[in-house]
Amino acid sequence: MAVNTIRNALFENRFWKSAVRGVPPVSKWLRDKIFGLGLINLSLFIILNVTGILLMFYYVPYTDKAYNVIKDFQFAVSFGAVFRNMHRWSAYAMIVFVFLHMSRVFYMAEYREPREFNWVIGWVLFLCTLVGALTGYLLPWDQKAYWGMTIMSNVMASVPVIGEKLKFVVLGGDEIGQSALTRAYDIHVKVMPLIMGFLIAVHVIRGRTDDLLASPQMRGDAAGSAWSDIIKRELAKFFLILIIIMGASILFGAPLEEEANPSVTPVPAKAPWFFLGLQELLSWGTPFWGAIVVPNAVLLFAFLVPYIERGKTGSGVWFHPSRRLQNILFTALVTVAIGLIIIGAFFRGPGWRFYWPWQPWPLH
Amino acid sequence: MAACLFTRRNFLSRVGWLAAFGTFGGLTAASGRYLFPNVLYEPPAEFKIAPPEEYPEGVTFVSAKRIFVIRQQNLIRVVSGVCTHIGCTVRWSEERNRFECPCHGSFFDENGAVTAGPAGKPLPWYGVSVAADGRLIVDEHKIVPFRQALTV
Repeated sequence: MAVNTIRNALFENRFWKSAVRGVPPVSKWLRDKIFGLGLINLSLFIILNVTGILLMFYYVPYTDKAYNVIKDFQFAVSFGAVFRNMHRWSAYAMIVFVFLHMSRVFYMAEYREPREFNWVIGWVLFLCTLVGALTGYLLPWDQKAYWGMTIMSNVMASVPVIGEKLKFVVLGGDEIGQSALTRAYDIHVKVMPLIMGFLIAVHVIRGRTDDLLASPQMRGDAAGSAWSDIIKRELAKFFLILIIIMGASILFGAPLEEEANPSVTPVPAKAPWFFLGLQELLSWGTPFWGAIVVPNAVLLFAFLVPYIERGKTGSGVWFHPSRRLQNILFTALVTVAIGLIIIGAFFRGPGWRFYWPWQPWPLH
Repeated sequence: MAACLFTRRNFLSRVGWLAAFGTFGGLTAASGRYLFPNVLYEPPAEFKIAPPEEYPEGVTFVSAKRIFVIRQQNLIRVVSGVCTHIGCTVRWSEERNRFECPCHGSFFDENGAVTAGPAGKPLPWYGVSVAADGRLIVDEHKIVPFRQALTV
């Protein structure tokens, strides 16, 4: 995030170089690059807010009108399709880049003291990103939205003891209808942006203070022209991201299917792609294990990583040799998670049977 | 004068904190409860469908209600068309004689019992009766065993 760039711009001798000395780097080029992934996420968040506000000038969360508004974006509102596409693509990009940001921090072991709590905030932000994307997914009220939400609400219902109540309160009723749309809309346009805006501010400020705590020698030379240089660099990056997102939105349209129809389940009905791994996991057994136990164990572990792993060496460089075990475990976990999504997305056809991507599906 | 348990300052302070926490706690609880609606404007669980003679022998899907009406000569049964795994609409496969869920590949035999796939519970059979106007009444709150059919 901004902090990383500040760090780059201000300190020619990066503070962890001394710790790195003597260790053969995995790659000279990679060694301590951080790619400004946080800043990319912040930029995407800003783009999401602005395009989201624009979309809200037309959108109405009524089950009988919502779909028509989306159609209007495609055909009747000037540049409506572009802004809708930008909103959709930045959301998807943000899921990917939050994930990359998190992976970067893990591989460089930067979640350690004093940054443990910021790692946890980062994880909450990741979850918020997913919730925001999921609630946004319902708003077009098309088949994808309706059935994606059906799958997700029944996953909630499979939570032991409180499951049915949880589903009831999330949907505002027993089935997906007006109340569910109203609630998803409220969470999407107000609750999530508020929480995320606040947490991002804390995340950035803490990141900076944690840097200073971790290496007091950073203090000092932040005066002079450096500040405006940073602003220029960050702004340039932001515009680059904006250009890429706009370009993608002009070239590629966001998906939209027929209007939601409860009596026709599309074959196969798939969850939003970022939850397809969960759906794939669900197809292996009861929702209790696939949807609750496994994901929550992973989540809990992710939250507690900085409090469990108390190593001292290898912070600030990629793939430090002393962290081979941690890196292998993390890579395995990530590979499984991505693998499940890929299987769900490309290798599953009618009846959730296995199909090669080039294999035609039988017609019913 | 009896020994005072509280000084006035002390007492007022406690009352103040109590009021503050009481209000805060009450509002928190209230907003939690607020999220659970008491009145639902959803289609009723007990509803009328067409009269029995309009359903041919075999399995008929009533798409608006996501149920299957099954007629075997003069017996009528109604089964839910909602997969018990994750809520997709199942479809009846005539050639294989089973209900198939398109989402995760759960199969249910003609009695509604699970034969394959991740679904844990059988498809529920709903209570069905005939209204005064001759149409069928289906009650989704009334789950009946398979053998209990309506004779028409």
